[in-house]
Amino acid sequence: MKSSASYVRDRCVTGIHGLDEILRGGIPYGSTVLAAGSCGCGKTTLGLEFLVRGAENGEACAHFTATEPSVKLLDNVRQFDFFDMKMVDKGLINVFDMDVLYSWLGLTKATFDLSDIHALIKAITDIVNTIGVTRLVIDSVTTLCYKIQSEQLIRDFLFTLGKKLSTLGCTTILISEITSEKSRVNMWSSFGVEEAISDGIIVLGDVERMGHLLRFLQVVKMRGTSHSRAKYAVELTSIGVMLTPMLKWGSSN
Amino acid sequence: MENKKFIISSEDEQYFGKMGSFGIPKFDKIMNGGVPRGFTILALTDPGSGAELFAKQFLSPCEEPENTVYISTNETSQEIMQVYDKYNWLNELQIISIGSEYNTRVLGKELQASKFRLEGFNMNDIQRLSQTRFVDDETEDFLTEMANSVIERGPFFRCAVENLDFFFQRYEESRVISMLRMMQAHTQMARGILLLCVSTDSLDTSIEKEMSSLADMVLTFGVHMIGSEFETRMIVRKFRNAPENLSVMSYRVTPEEGITPETVQRIA
Repeated sequence: MKSSASYVRDRCVTGIHGLDEILRGGIPYGSTVLAAGSCGCGKTTLGLEFLVRGAENGEACAHFTATEPSVKLLDNVRQFDFFDMKMVDKGLINVFDMDVLYSWLGLTKATFDLSDIHALIKAITDIVNTIGVTRLVIDSVTTLCYKIQSEQLIRDFLFTLGKKLSTLGCTTILISEITSEKSRVNMWSSFGVEEAISDGIIVLGDVERMGHLLRFLQVVKMRGTSHSRAKYAVELTSIGVMLTPMLKWGSSN
Repeated sequence: MENKKFIISSEDEQYFGKMGSFGIPKFDKIMNGGVPRGFTILALTDPGSGAELFAKQFLSPCEEPENTVYISTNETSQEIMQVYDKYNWLNELQIISIGSEYNTRVLGKELQASKFRLEGFNMNDIQRLSQTRFVDDETEDFLTEMANSVIERGPFFRCAVENLDFFFQRYEESRVISMLRMMQAHTQMARGILLLCVSTDSLDTSIEKEMSSLADMVLTFGVHMIGSEFETRMIVRKFRNAPENLSVMSYRVTPEEGITPETVQRIA
């Protein structure tokens, strides 16, 4: 048995330029990480690249899209050189349209009750288990939770889902949409419960520096690893997300 | 649904005449010649009274097979055909089995969803799911479908809806009534004949009154106990512009002729 000083938890290497260095090697396996940010700050791209890098290593990956139709998502992602449609064709990246999943499960009501939530958790975990998914992205958990009325049910849903996915050895990124007002007061979720049940929180947002609106990324929390809590500038390039220390951009603000 | 204007040729007018048959010669006679073209008939029925058979017999004259339609919410096309064959009635009419459609399109989906919820997804299901990009958003509005099936008929059509309970159980009453009004208006304009059957038990008094007022003719079909025997009875409660036709008649079902009136008692 390793001593506590030398024990290092196995990591899911994200493959995203700069992020693994921030996380001292990657996201601890089986973690549920909240990627929270306002619109246009690169959450979806970050999630997709996370899957692509896994698929490049032969891992089975799944993406559940609730914010935009899967057709539109796949159309948008073709612009990136890092994305290869063959990964979808070969079944390495499995893109699931949440509206289709809802329809198949008969979840046609405007709001979900407890049994609907259980059905949804079962469906997602079934998929993860059957395909052997090791990397999962749900985009976005905010859209999904809009259908759940009570805070308690949202908490139960996310907690149960996270626990089951972790047991199955799946590292999950839950994308959370927040307004810039919320991020200013250190609130990383829409419903206030997502951040509490997550093992990690990665915040994405915009910051103004010397007249430029820059995207930034900051790891606020990550259980099971030490990490930098500094802000990093995000560049969305055709070869993927590039993170560079914020200091490079000056500190006038 | 647009209002169509019909040009009715004098040839057609001569061929079809002012009155149509009920499909029961004795009843035509009791009603002084049959049912006026353009009439909407409401049949309020008790279970076991033979109203389903009356609806089929009503379409048996089938003057124009492509313009004669039986809309059923309970029976399959096959079951309906068997009855037509049994009585040697012309069976070339159009049949719309909304009940079967409902079973396939709504209950089938619900059953599949229950299976997924209970048993989960297998590998094949998951592969199909990951390749399905669009929700099958076919709207399941059987009420509009039923109304359209009537409204799209040309002049001198003949149609029976057996029965309306299905719609009252699934749609707002006001919407059903509004659709029935459109169907009634079309029937009048197209000089068609429309029979609407509905169970007495499934209607509130106010809805029954509203339906009775929109119909040109109202029939009730009931089963009554007389001593130790059952008697099936039809009451003609309303006949627009011919109150002399209001009557109570007992009838029986014979293997040769179907619904056969026996005794008649005039009300007016």
